[in-house]
Formats: sequence, structure tokens, C-alpha cells
Amino acid sequence: MRKLGMVIDLSRCIGCRSCAVVCKIHNSLPPGTWWQRVETVGAKEHMIPTGEYPDLSEVFLPIPCQHCENAPCVKVCPVGATWQREDGLVLVDYERCIGCRYCMTACPYGIRQFNWQSSDDSFKEGFKNAGFEENWFKDKEYRYGYPLDHRTKDGRLVFTLKRPRGIVEKCTFCVQYVDQGLLPACVRGCPGNARTFGDLNDPNSEISKIIRGRDVFKLLSDLGTEPKVFYIPPSRKEGKGGISYGKKL
Amino acid sequence: MGVTRRDFLKYCAIGTAAVAGSRYFQLAHSMQGDNAAISYIRSTCSPNCTGACGFNAMVYKGRIASLVQAADYPDKEYNPRGCLRGQSMLNLIYGPDRLKQPLIRVGKRGEGKFKAVSWDEALDYTAEKLVEIMKKYGPESVASTIQVPGTGYVNKGALMRLSSMYDWSVIHAYTMNGDLPAFWPMTFGVQTEELESLEWANSKYTAVFGSNIMVTRVPDAKFLNISRERGGKFIMVDPNYTPTAAKADEWVQINSSTDAAFALGIVYVILNEKLYDEEFIKTYTDMPLLVRLDNNKRLLAREVRSLAGAAAAMKGRIPEYRELYVAYNKKTKGFVIPNPENLKRDFDPAIEGEFDVELVNGKRVKVKPVFQLMSEFINKEYTPEKVARIIAPEEARVREYTDKIIKLGREMGTIKPLHIVYGASNYQWFHGDLKGRALSLIVTLTGNLGKPGAGISTYAGQYRVRWPLGAWWAYKSKAYKWLNYLLWMNDEYRNTEEFNKYNKEIPHPKNGVKAFVFGWGNPFDQHNMSNRMREKATKGELELIVSTDFQMSTSCLWSDVVLPGVAWYEKYDLTATVSHPYVQLQQPAIEPLFQCMPEIWIFKELAKRIAIKTENEEILNSIADFYVNPELFKKEEEARKNGSWTLKLAREIAQQASLDAAALMLKTGGPQVQDITVDMLKQGPVRLNLPTPNKRQIMFYEQIMELQPFPPVSYPAPLPKTARFVKSGRVEFHKDEDVFIDTGETLPMHKDPFVDTENKTPGVKEKYKFALITRNALYRVHSTHSNNITMLELQDLKPKVWLNPRAAAERNIKEGDLVEAYNNRGKVYGYAVLDPGLHYRVAIFEEGWWSRYLKGTSYNTLTYPWIKAAHLIYFVPGMWEPTTAWNETACEVKKAEGVKHA
Repeated sequence: MRKLGMVIDLSRCIGCRSCAVVCKIHNSLPPGTWWQRVETVGAKEHMIPTGEYPDLSEVFLPIPCQHCENAPCVKVCPVGATWQREDGLVLVDYERCIGCRYCMTACPYGIRQFNWQSSDDSFKEGFKNAGFEENWFKDKEYRYGYPLDHRTKDGRLVFTLKRPRGIVEKCTFCVQYVDQGLLPACVRGCPGNARTFGDLNDPNSEISKIIRGRDVFKLLSDLGTEPKVFYIPPSRKEGKGGISYGKKL
Repeated sequence: MGVTRRDFLKYCAIGTAAVAGSRYFQLAHSMQGDNAAISYIRSTCSPNCTGACGFNAMVYKGRIASLVQAADYPDKEYNPRGCLRGQSMLNLIYGPDRLKQPLIRVGKRGEGKFKAVSWDEALDYTAEKLVEIMKKYGPESVASTIQVPGTGYVNKGALMRLSSMYDWSVIHAYTMNGDLPAFWPMTFGVQTEELESLEWANSKYTAVFGSNIMVTRVPDAKFLNISRERGGKFIMVDPNYTPTAAKADEWVQINSSTDAAFALGIVYVILNEKLYDEEFIKTYTDMPLLVRLDNNKRLLAREVRSLAGAAAAMKGRIPEYRELYVAYNKKTKGFVIPNPENLKRDFDPAIEGEFDVELVNGKRVKVKPVFQLMSEFINKEYTPEKVARIIAPEEARVREYTDKIIKLGREMGTIKPLHIVYGASNYQWFHGDLKGRALSLIVTLTGNLGKPGAGISTYAGQYRVRWPLGAWWAYKSKAYKWLNYLLWMNDEYRNTEEFNKYNKEIPHPKNGVKAFVFGWGNPFDQHNMSNRMREKATKGELELIVSTDFQMSTSCLWSDVVLPGVAWYEKYDLTATVSHPYVQLQQPAIEPLFQCMPEIWIFKELAKRIAIKTENEEILNSIADFYVNPELFKKEEEARKNGSWTLKLAREIAQQASLDAAALMLKTGGPQVQDITVDMLKQGPVRLNLPTPNKRQIMFYEQIMELQPFPPVSYPAPLPKTARFVKSGRVEFHKDEDVFIDTGETLPMHKDPFVDTENKTPGVKEKYKFALITRNALYRVHSTHSNNITMLELQDLKPKVWLNPRAAAERNIKEGDLVEAYNNRGKVYGYAVLDPGLHYRVAIFEEGWWSRYLKGTSYNTLTYPWIKAAHLIYFVPGMWEPTTAWNETACEVKKAEGVKHA
């Protein structure tokens, strides 16, 4: 059985947030909801450096759901709405979720989002906050996102455009695409080619080769959650292009 | 092309197991099975960033549900192209500001009160007003402009076609935007050149001067990272720490607009450690040409007694735009006339020394090679110590900077290929040309031209037309009239002595500009002195303002007539931009929304209605030729007559007419597009036939490898127009037109910012301590996406002003305070962000915010249409003319008072 995971190369990541936006559009996330975030480590504002001038640095960190092998969210769900599928995807069954939010407390990565209101209401509020006189798209029927409902083989609803109020949702590794043999939208859409997605159980997969061949780390690895998202740390900068002539001008 | 789901899965499995590039498999145009109702149409994202990224529109029930990068570029490394802005384009296409139908203004100008009208009413009204103005003031009093035609040769070309038809004045957006880097024509005789981004990976050393590539060239940025992975070094020279500086091996912080000094410090090291490529500069540059010490002009062959005869004989064999100059041949110990039409060299010119020469009139003058003069000048003015004093942000760091210059000079002098990226934010200064000339010197002295991964690039605007387009753009080959935007905005300068002394060629409508017709831009927010535009509108100097756009921008609000156009998923168009040299199509994934129409139809209708109203028999008789196939034009007219006309029919005809226009431009485009057809482009992007190995975009390949003279052609200008910029046929560092002599700028040099501009006004220097940099944002493409709800959310819905924490503290400004950046011309509001990477004397506001987000203010009220005399001496539209210097703007920042905090 395959086990799906992701590697993100932080040297390649330019912090552009394209992944977060691709995710938002494909998964039809209304204003206020993000399944994936990209932040500058240690900074209050994205793309503001940290450190003491002039020794500054900026490291960008994209955080999708870690799809933990030992997922705390799965353990605390009282109704079995959150579960880990055989291929490793941690999913939420929208029809079974009761909105108790235990999973949100359990998740150490702050990934999960609760729908306090219907996504229509979130859109309306978003447009209003952004100062639009009209609180909807010009085309009244319009809504972005993958248009079809998606159910797992055993019939559980894991993607739908019109998401109900009062449930918890999160990154699914784009289950609606993965089940069609496609890559998650953020992997396909990363203009920096920073992401690799594939089968961790296949020793010949590209992702397995990267994990074997490169230094990788996991977020909060000491918690024992066993994330299936791996990160390649930013590369070192010393020793590039320095030339010593051994003479003075 | 359809595939079964099973095949598709199999294909993907192979794809993921194979090498990196192939995982971005190509999507089928339509997928079967569960997704039968979803189809994919390939188009090209075409805002004014000119990234021209291929996208597949996921279409479901006639609407675009989502966008997927097409990732179908034959050079796999390019895949996938596309960024956060392009991905959320749907927020604009379907968003609250989308236009629904034509509008005619009923309120005051800029007030935003309109009535919705029929197309007939809007077009007839517009045509009538235009005809009135053309009759009263002359047709050249109608000014038109388009933005970045490379992202829409057909529809943008249609406005050009209309303008040529009626002798309107065209404003070249490249200079209106300040995108023209004037050092290119001065040094190399071209409009602009660059490496395609794929070539960045081949550079062993990349020096970026003030270009925030990681933010402004998102789809290309990875090639800088790949270059580093391959062992290349990448340095960032910028007053401010940026995401690009964060990725660089080294960040060199310098004072604002001191890059020329820095570059000449590097050159000092290259000269003194003899790291230059002597054979290279002897062959390709003016370094061996002799300059008279008595008048600082290049010595002309016809002036020299011993050469006058030979010069006269050669004169007849060279084009009129060339001039014959003189070098000293070490082989024969005599003077020689280098052939300006062929760089093949059978002489060995001296590049150093001083010579005596007898002129035809018997006078003897002293001459020196350009190299000698330049070396003397640089050795005197730009020693590493002197340079360090100019560029170092703190006095205490001068010693460190001196060492740094020596170290970097050795690196840049020896590591090849070297590529310099010169950012627009850096060249859009009054002396941007001097900085570019100095940077060019580094790559030229070291022989870094004409080779993969080598050279100097500028990427703003990417105006560069890739092949002759006249068959479509110029109606019946009629020439255009032109108007320089800055000279329109800067009336007072047109009356100065300086202007009258140097201007020889720049046209201006005798009765001024009375009507303004524009599309694909937002000049009432986005352009230099947008407040002057608004004044011209308010005072009635502009009698008619007509815009086309697909959404209600600020400039539409200021228009008298708004003609609703479409986005790049609703029409056919042809694109060819430069960061990657592919020809691509925009294709309609959906019907145009509401009553919106492809712009080709709008301009065709205006052309027709103007012809009828002017009763111009000649044009009237041939008006059907506005569409390439007149039968299509007639078909629509026929339908109007017999009552079968519908919007749908007009659209279908317009789409076909667009494909015809694209086909015509490909057919008549010459060798670069030979054998490329519309049908091929429907399948995916096709690389231009560039005359280089693997058809790569490498600068000056034919000059360096095949010894052809400079410059290569810059389309659409005919060669004689641009070749006169470099009359020697060589790369020129010594410029000797009078204006360069008068301003002391014959050689590349550094001049401090603001001295020749802001500080000429008494008190300004003391009052306004910051340089206001209006940089590009991650969340917009200029003013496009200003109203994109997802992009707004990522910015907390707030425009911001970035300040150094120490500078902010001195003004009692805290993080998040609403502040006002202001000068003696205008002001703009934003929320303070304290950024330790920002230079102490820089304030940043990110351009592109519509004024409705700025409490009615505009950052373009602070800018000024500075005009540099050297930019007046020729006029070739978009190639040599006054160009905007946005960042030559001094300002001060204070807490905003009496304004409501959001």
C-alpha cells in the first residue's frame, strides 16, 4: 500500500504564497479561511527580515496539514469523522463531523479551521470588509473551486464546494485530485519547484530518494506525531565565489 | 484529445516516478469519466507583468471553476509558470468590479456616476465626440495608449490600427511607465536586451542591482536558486534587504542610487588587476577609438589629413547612419579606420597612450583612445576608498566597504559567465542611464556578452516587440503620430531653454491633447502625476476620456465613456514577451461575461462609426478592411441590415477576426516566426526562431559570434533609426553628442540622486529626508489585483509604508500607525511597517493601490515628470525619448492626523 507524503525545499521556497492561494481557489476557501499558510519565521509581518542589522535573514515556511502518521486529531475525534486513510491522507468526513473542535485543540500545527458560518456568509463578510459595495461576485451564481463533490471509495464526503456551517476543515492533500492520479494543487502550482509529492513506501519514488539523500527535518518532531511533510533546510551561504589573490592592489 | 481515466492514472504514475521535470504532465484538453462535465482550455495569463504564464482554465457549466498552470513548455525547466496573482484571477473576472455593460458618465468627472447604455449608444456617442475634436483641433489632438502589447498583439494592436487610421497621436507606454532603460540605446543602440530566465541557471555569477526578482518575477525566480544549486554565486546590491537579498549569497547594502559609483569601483579593480578581456574590447567596443582632447569628441576619419581620402572612398560604401572613426594600429604604427559595418579586425589597435594627429586644416591635435581616457577618469575618481565613501550606509563601515569592493571586483572580473540584472526600481531615477552605462562596462570589459548565462538584463515592461507587426497594427501601412507622455504632463518644461536647445525631433500636437483613448492601463492612478491627469480632466482641458477595461478601475471612474472589454480567458489573442521567448495564444474558455466584448470589435466599431460621421469616402470605401478578412466585416453588417444581428454573432465574428489577425502577424513576421501557425499555437507554446544555439534568448549573439555590427534591429523601428545611436557600429562608452559634453557625461560616471532634480527647489533637501521608493508588490501586478479579495486578505486589507525602525522612532512612529508620506507636491496614506532591513533614508510604498484604498490620496501625486536633456536628442518612440523616473522622489513621513484609522 502506498503512503503519500510531501517534501518542501526551503532553499527553493521564495515565500510567494502561490501555494496558499492555489489551495484557496481550488478548494473554494472563503475569505478568512486558509488551509495552507506561508509565513516568515520569527517575523511579525511576512517578508520582513529577522536578526540584528546588518546580519539579517528571512526564512519562509509553508505549512500545509502535516498528515501525521500518528495524528493527534484522529485520536481525539469522538465520532470518527477525522481518520487516516490507508494511503496516509488524514481526512475529515464533512457528513460525520459534529463540530466539537477537539481536533483543533489537539493539532500542534494550528492547521484546522472551524466554519463559524456558512461559506456564503464568509464570502459576504469578506467582500464587505474589503470595502466592496456589493457583497458578492458580479455573477451571482459564481463561486470558485473544484466544482464536483468528492467521496472516498467507501462513500465518505471529503470535498464539496458548499461546505456546511459548524464543521472543521483542513488541507486534504487535495484528495479530489490525488484520487484521480493528479498531484495536490500546491505541488502542481509551486512556481519555485519547491515541492515533491509521492509514495513514501516506494523506495524508487522521487520523494523517497530525496528523503534518503538529503538532510530533511520535520516540524515539532519531538512530539512524536510523525508528520508526512518533510522539509529541506535552507542552504548555507559560506564559501561561494571567494577568490584569494594573495596580493594587495 | 481524450484519455480514459485508467490511461490517465497510468500516465501519472509514470510521471511521478520519472525525473523532476516530467511530473508536470500535460493535462488533456478534456477528461472523461467522473469529470466529463469539466473541460480545460489553455490560455495565457497576460497582465502587465508580462510573465505570460500558460494556464488551463477548468471550465464547468460555462464558468471557470479554477485555474491550473498549463506546465506545457517544451523546455521542461520552465514548468510550471504562474503565481498567486494569476491563480486568483477569477476574483477579478467574476468579481464585484466586473463591468457589465457600456457606461456614459452623468455626474462630474471622477465622481463615478454613470448610466448604463447600449453598445450602439456608447459607440455612437464616442465616435461623434471624437469626430468633433478631430475636426476642431486636428486628429493629432486625440491621444491613445495601450499597455504592454507583447501580451496581446491582436486586441491591443486593434487600438493601434485605429490610431494609425485616423492620425491620432500614440503615447508609447514604455516611456510613460519609465520602463525604458536609456543606457541601452546609448551604449548598445537597442531598445532593450535580456537573457531569458532559463539562462540564469547557466550563470556562474549573478549580480542583481535593485531588482526584487523573488517577488516581481515569481515564475522565473527559481532559476536564480538553481544557479546557486549548481555552484553559482548570486549577490544582491540594494539599499534594502528584500526576499531576493535573503536568497542571495551576499547582500551589499548601498546608499540609494549610488550603483554607478559601486560599478565603477568594480571597474577600477578590473582595470588595475588587468582582469579585462583586451581582445574582446578591441573588437567589439569603442575602447580603441581616438578622442580629441581639444573638444572631447571622437576623432573623425574625414578630419584627419592622412585618412581623409580613404574616408571619402569608404563613405560611399557605408550606410548614412554610420560614421568613420579612427584608431591607432600598433602593427603598422599608423592610424586606421575601423569598418563600422564589420567587426572583423585585421589591425591591432592601441587602447592606451596619447597620439598627435594632423587634421585636414593643418591643425595638430592630441588624441587618446577611449580606454585610456576612461582609465584615467576611473583611477582618479573611483578608487575603492572613494567609492566606499559614496556607497556605504554608515561612515564607520567605509573600511569594510573598501575591502568588499576589491573582493567583489576580483570575483566579477574572473568568474564567468557573469550576468548582471539591473532592476527597474533602480533605473527609474533621473540618472538611471548613467548607472546602466556603468554596469554595462563591467560585463563588456570582461567579455560577458553574446554567450549563454552572460550579459546584462533589464526586465521591466518587456515592451520589446519580437517581430514586425505592421501588417496588423498599421492600417494600410500608415505611419503613426506620436506623443511623449512626460512632455504632455510637464508643460512648463516644453517652454524651457534646455528643451528648445536639445529637442530636434519630438512631435507634439499643436493644439494639445483634447481626447484620451486608452485601454489595459489605469493612468488616473498609476501614472506619474496622476493628479495632473485628474486636473486636466476636471478643468476640461481634456474634452473626452474613453477607456476600455474589463473592470471598473479608477481610470474608468474618471472616463466619460467606459467600453467593457474582456479578460484573457474570454478571447483570442497572440502573446510574445521576453522573460521566456515563447509565442502563445490566449483562448476563450468562456463566453465574454454580460455584455462585454473583445476589444478588436470595440475598435472596429469605433473605426466604422467615425468613418461614417466624418464622411471620409476613402476610409469608408475600405472600412471593411479593418478586419483582416473584409468578408467577416460585411457579414456582420449584413446581419445588422437584415435584423439577424446578435451580440453572440458579433462575438463569434470577432473571435474569428482575432485569429485572422494573429495568422497575418505570424505570416508577415519574418524569420523569427517563420513556419509558426495559429494551429500550432492552439496546441501549446512555440519557441521563437532565435538565431542562437537551441534558440535561446542570448544577447548580441550575432554581433559577438558573427561579428555583425551593433546594433541588432529593435522592432518595430527600422535599423537606420536606432543604428545612429551607435554610429561606430560598436558598443559605445564614450558618447560625444553635445548634450553629453555639456553635462559632463561623456563617460559612465556617478551623479548623486536629487542634486539635479528635487534639491534644485530651495528647502527641499532639508525638509524631505527620505527617498520614496514605490516598489512592486507581491500582491499586485501594478494596479491589477488591487481589488482582488484574496490578495487584499493577504495584506490585512491595508496599504503600508515601510520604514527603518530608527527613522521611525525619530518621528515617533510605531508599528501599525497610520502615517502620511508627503512632499511639496502630494501625499499618500499607509500603515507603518518597521523593517530593520530598510535603509535609514528610504521610505517604501508599494505601487498599484487604487486610490479608493488610500482615502482618496495617490502615491503618484508625490512623483514628478523629470526630464533629462540627454533623452531629448533623438526621438524614436519607446527607444529614445524622455522616460519616467518614479523613484527620483524625496518625501517625509509623519503620523497621519485627522484621518480615520481603519
